[in-house]
Amino acid sequence: MASLLQPDRVLYLVHGEKKIRSPLSTLYFCRYCSELRSLECVSHEVDSHYCPSCLENMPSAEAKLKKNRCANCFDCPCCMHTLSTRATNIPAPLPDDPSKTTMKKAYYLACGFCRWTSRDVGMADKSVASGGWQEPDNPHTQRINKLIEYYQQLAQREKLERDRKKLARRRPYMPLAFSEKYGLGTRLQRQRPGAPITSLAGLSLKEGEDQKEINIEPAQALDEVEPLPEDCYTRPINLPEVTSLRQRLLQPDFQPAGASQLHPKHKHLLIKRSLRCRKCEHNLSKPEFNPTSIKFKIQLVAECQVLLTLTNPVENITHVTLVGCEEGDPEDINSTAKVMVPTKELVLAGKDAAADYDELAEPQDFQDDPDVVAFRKSNKIGFFIKVVPQREEDGDVTVSFKIRHDFRNLAAPIRPSEEGDAPTEAIWLTHHVELSLGPIIA
Amino acid sequence: VEFVLHVQVANIAAGAVVCVESEIRGDVTIGPRTVVHPKARIIAEAGPIIIGEGNLIEEQALIINSYPENIMPDTEGVEPKTMTIGINNVFEVGCVSQALKIGDNNVIESKADLGKNVILTSGCIVGACCQVNTCEVIPENTVIYGSNCMRRVQTERPQPQTLQLDFLMKILPNYHHMKKTVKGTSTPVRN
Repeated sequence: MASLLQPDRVLYLVHGEKKIRSPLSTLYFCRYCSELRSLECVSHEVDSHYCPSCLENMPSAEAKLKKNRCANCFDCPCCMHTLSTRATNIPAPLPDDPSKTTMKKAYYLACGFCRWTSRDVGMADKSVASGGWQEPDNPHTQRINKLIEYYQQLAQREKLERDRKKLARRRPYMPLAFSEKYGLGTRLQRQRPGAPITSLAGLSLKEGEDQKEINIEPAQALDEVEPLPEDCYTRPINLPEVTSLRQRLLQPDFQPAGASQLHPKHKHLLIKRSLRCRKCEHNLSKPEFNPTSIKFKIQLVAECQVLLTLTNPVENITHVTLVGCEEGDPEDINSTAKVMVPTKELVLAGKDAAADYDELAEPQDFQDDPDVVAFRKSNKIGFFIKVVPQREEDGDVTVSFKIRHDFRNLAAPIRPSEEGDAPTEAIWLTHHVELSLGPIIA
Repeated sequence: VEFVLHVQVANIAAGAVVCVESEIRGDVTIGPRTVVHPKARIIAEAGPIIIGEGNLIEEQALIINSYPENIMPDTEGVEPKTMTIGINNVFEVGCVSQALKIGDNNVIESKADLGKNVILTSGCIVGACCQVNTCEVIPENTVIYGSNCMRRVQTERPQPQTLQLDFLMKILPNYHHMKKTVKGTSTPVRN
């Protein structure tokens, strides 16, 4: 149960770019490389965008247009909770007969947590439940858009120049759009460091189109600044009106100092990510497309493949040998105690899901040495180790050793063999394990 | 030697709906149209409690007029202080209120904790699980929310829960026995 309740007790060493020690529940196992992988040695990719409150999927192109914000949901500018739409009945004059009034529904946004309402900032009630709410316009939008266009064009031009130089060296008759077609998809283009801002090249001009020359005016520095109001130092502060830093910075367009200018913003989208092994480029984890589903299309979690603290997760009989770390082992940096592990090979029965229900099945006889094996139950085994703490300090006792076990790759590609089924070969894997046993008493 | 006789019978006005399973101890006056749910506790230890009309006191809420910490119950010369609660307040499930003066239209959300030295004015909302044990008067229309008890001022006061009160006054007598009111035992019929 250490895997669920005390995950940091048993740590496995992952050989990646950095040596990372982490519990098995956070690791993945690449069955093509037959190695453990942690979150730091896989590449994270964006799979899909979705809104956390309305759970609506959004295609990536649309997400980019809307700046990764949901169209329907709003965040409270005060406490960042999700806003809900509430309706009231207000009397409104009938269009035919102005003297009579009828009840019409008016909608306003309200936060259930801090009781902020859209009426607090002066936003009028809308007559439609959704779609009527607009974010205020940024006064600098035009200038920013012009700057973006100019720099996009510049990036485009630089890219063409570079491609032309490269292609001119090798094949002069290749069309100029060659690099464009293969951009961002292959590994070589993706992993090239120092590449120019490729996101700006999203909107590319087609060949033959006239390129407009876009000129921008440089920003002008002003000599005179607006002076502070005269009562700046003497006016008493109205504390509820002052916005906190977090509230201010969540609206980078306006950064209002007063709470009566805090307008709600659209809710930020979340992403589902897929993980890919960096060495073999296979997917380790790929989530479902539907935002409401928590399952995965591919999920190669280490707990399903690698041995846990001697619970056998696979269905074959597995042989385990434990080897203590030798003196001067470069991976053995954390242990504060010497451990003597059983030298014999331990045999674990396979995982059989039906074994719990099958009472008539005969227990397999493994002839365990009672000094080594404490108990055995279906695919679990308990065994003894001797621990000699090396230091007298009050810290935790940590031991490390290596587990060596055989592993059958059930997903290996089927090789056409002439003699019918050949059993899959077993390979031996070695993992470096660290166990934290707790503090020394007395 | 002076004997002071505390009235032990709760003074429940006609029109209030007080369930028998609620615990009312001491000198408690409850106004009309107030609903006290079962398992609510109103304890007047160190003085009487006067509750206005239109209040909603939900399950496991505790309104207690207790002795200050450093005074023993038997000390002589201690004046009993009256706890006053105004109209249209809502005490949600599990809240604890020791505040001596509560105005109108306040909402004390679930598991909130009000200390003895707080005075609530009107339209205040004390958020769920917020502990307010400062010695101050909370200004009108204040909202206390969040794990750090952040505060802000809202522009409208919370609406009185008339719909909820009417519904409960109709439904609760169907499932619970009611405590006797001062003038007659029947709850008036509302149109």
